[in-house]
Amino acid sequence: MPYREKLAWLSLTAMALTFGPYFAFAGRSAAMEKPLPNLHLLWLFAIAAGVQMAILGVGRLWLRHKERSEGNLQAPDERDRAIEYRSVRAAYCVLIGGMILVGCVMPFNSSGWRIINAALAMIVAAEVVHYATAVLSYRRDA
Amino acid sequence: MTPRTISNRIRALRFENGEMSQAELGRRIGLTRQTLAAIEAGKYSPSLEAAFRIAEVFKLDLQQVFQWNSEDSR
Repeated sequence: MPYREKLAWLSLTAMALTFGPYFAFAGRSAAMEKPLPNLHLLWLFAIAAGVQMAILGVGRLWLRHKERSEGNLQAPDERDRAIEYRSVRAAYCVLIGGMILVGCVMPFNSSGWRIINAALAMIVAAEVVHYATAVLSYRRDA
Repeated sequence: MTPRTISNRIRALRFENGEMSQAELGRRIGLTRQTLAAIEAGKYSPSLEAAFRIAEVFKLDLQQVFQWNSEDSR
């Protein structure tokens, strides 16, 4: 498996382990409908983001060390760059679509943490699409 | 419309040139082993520059390494 596909899998796993539980809890009506500012949810998001960064940091260091010791650590080549371009383009479409939904549609029928969580979910969704597109591209062209 | 494909003889050429590994060929032209494997399997079409570099390693012309399988030639 290419080094950059492993990085994509690591990122997907980190997001599933952190933002999965966050949205499972914070996405419930009971959690979102408490009076503002409802900083409890902000703290939960900060913890999820912190844990995600820790998983990514440790995972990347470990992968880098492993690949280097096996002599597989190389600079990205033209195929890696093509896959990255495709992945970022797909993620950008999701992000723009999501932001239009959250910023232009949701204010007419929602408020408070519903909008905040929707915006955060769109950012996470864009990242999921980014790394999932990379994984699928590496699998398809393998 | 029948899809056109690019085929190549890289695998055969590697073996004819001292059983050169994919990693070794990749290192000489700046591609990863996985990308070389994808090119050999016909699942990734290299850039023109990479194709010329590959042909240069084997001291051949581009068309002796890569073939364009057009509809007319089928």
